[in-house]
Amino acid sequence: MQPDWITASRVVLVAGKGGVGSSTAAAALAVLGARSGLDVLLVAVDGKPGLGPLLGGSPLTATEQVLRRKRGGGRVRARSITPQQAFADYLDLKGFGGILRRAASAASLDLVAASTPGMEHLLVLGKIKELDRTKAADLIVVDAPPAGHAAPFLRSARALQEVVANGPVRQQADEVAEMLADPSRAQALLVTLPEETPVNELIELAGEVELDLGLALAPLVINSCWAQRPALSLAAVTAARRSEVVLTAADKRALQFTNRFGNARMAVQHEQLARLAAALPLPRIVLPRLPTPRLLPEHLELLADAMGVVPS
Amino acid sequence: MSAESLQEVLASARLLVTCGPGGVGKTTTAAALGLSAAAAGRRVVVVTIDPARRLADALGVDAASSNQPHLVADAVKGPGSFSALMLDAERTFDDLIRERAGAAAEQLLNNRVYRGIAGSMAGAQEYMAIERLHQLHHSGEFDLVVIDTPPSRHAIDVLKAPDRLVLFLSHPIYRALTMPSRSLARITNAASNAFLWTVKRLAGPKIVEEIVEFFRSLSGMEAGLRTRAAEMSALLRDEQTAFVLVSSPRAEAIDEATFLAEALAEGGFHLGGVVINMVHPQPPPLSVALVGALADGTLVGPLAEQVGYHAELAALADAERVELQTLVALAGDAAVREVPLLDHDVHDVAALHELGSLLIGD
Repeated sequence: MQPDWITASRVVLVAGKGGVGSSTAAAALAVLGARSGLDVLLVAVDGKPGLGPLLGGSPLTATEQVLRRKRGGGRVRARSITPQQAFADYLDLKGFGGILRRAASAASLDLVAASTPGMEHLLVLGKIKELDRTKAADLIVVDAPPAGHAAPFLRSARALQEVVANGPVRQQADEVAEMLADPSRAQALLVTLPEETPVNELIELAGEVELDLGLALAPLVINSCWAQRPALSLAAVTAARRSEVVLTAADKRALQFTNRFGNARMAVQHEQLARLAAALPLPRIVLPRLPTPRLLPEHLELLADAMGVVPS
Repeated sequence: MSAESLQEVLASARLLVTCGPGGVGKTTTAAALGLSAAAAGRRVVVVTIDPARRLADALGVDAASSNQPHLVADAVKGPGSFSALMLDAERTFDDLIRERAGAAAEQLLNNRVYRGIAGSMAGAQEYMAIERLHQLHHSGEFDLVVIDTPPSRHAIDVLKAPDRLVLFLSHPIYRALTMPSRSLARITNAASNAFLWTVKRLAGPKIVEEIVEFFRSLSGMEAGLRTRAAEMSALLRDEQTAFVLVSSPRAEAIDEATFLAEALAEGGFHLGGVVINMVHPQPPPLSVALVGALADGTLVGPLAEQVGYHAELAALADAERVELQTLVALAGDAAVREVPLLDHDVHDVAALHELGSLLIGD
């Protein structure tokens, strides 16, 4: 029914450079999980309220909403987690009250976070670790901050381990690092486009994530790939002859224009995918380029179909 | 105010800031705009603070040469010059400490809290970006400084960094922590006590000592930091500073660009232009006969695939033109420029020149 990698860990952290569609990929994975009968919790950590409407719901908030129900009991629940919420939850969990509770109000979190680098990220990851520990869902899909910010986010636990020798923050950092390094609990789903800079950044991010954190890599997701259209490489007149049509001069020019454009973009895609394969020989999932500037909930079903194809 | 073309903005601005969502070609746009101004005879430096270091790909600046302007040889003919700089926020911060902190500098540079803040804290990175910008602006070496900001919401953090620093320095906790006193025990301010107690409970006593030490060392620099922050805040709002909003015609990018445009207006920043990148080209139309033959299924074989692709591209180009009307409306008096999705990636100076002429040409 579904590819094995989806159930390899409870937590899947979805990350990629800004604009490559990692949030879309996270949403498609959530839909795929629900179709497979899983209870899925989609978590946005970068203030991307738009994920809610994409799944046919309202903008995401800290309050969980159920966005999709599928036959067989699968569903998609979604919420956001901000450092402020994670901090409040953490204090509740640890039973802190009174003066610490007041001191740690949202206003002073900024200062605590400023003085303890990586603290905000750690609080969010710590909350995700709690969700994993309490088995809050069968599959927890995390829409991580975009690359440039993804690496510091994922590395925050390691960074804090270096600065903080003991106390609850250290314990939290240790527990988060342990979760990230355990492939049966967490894996990273890295997303890119078949273009030069996004491919470069994916290669960089994959190295950081796997080597520094020991975080297992799920298949790579290549978003927005042009479909193979072998006929575009034929001259318009040749194609017309084979299709037994005679072209007007204007039609010929129009088709030459789009054929040339399609072939050039396809050449870039081939070149970049080959480069990626050489640098990162991992299984990959190819998501189609959808011919629309505005993604709608029905498009997400198409992307979930593609996400469910066994990676190759 | 009358509409100004991007070319006019490039001729008169002293500082140009590009901002926009991730993945819309912001860095290449910044570089291409800078190159156009250089080609028109100005001495230009393009600064990138994007941690993804995209400009490095395009201009051959690398980590070894970071933080110093690097002249891109033979980029332009004539009196102008074109340099690129990859910002190293940590190094800028260290230099500032050495310059301002005097005897305390070495101790401060080794403080773990400082190292953590200089290396990874978002706010510090952004403040230092503006600091470097300010230095370049006043160096007298350049007529125009172009800066490429990190994607979207983080861009606003960059712009607010000087104001935030002033707020931070005025914070009661900061004030209490930097008050002259002999020991930690003398700090009686309730807010700072609670703050330190929180950090101590969460992260241990060692870090508290370093926090106090860090804030104490910083206090000697306070007056200088405040003055500089005020200057930078004024520079960003100067009439010779122009913001160029870069987006793509995709709905989610437009949503983010809308958010940014509103934040710019609210912050009193001057919008100099809107660039809509990666717009699918509108292909010349096909005859009704051919389109009809595809629709009714009488067209088969390879030509059907070609006509189908044409139809898809044409529909996409139409849909994008509908989406981007939002940005046109948003631009108000500022120039709006559409740039087609090129059939190749831009990663050398020749391609930047080509992009530049698309950005400012007729």
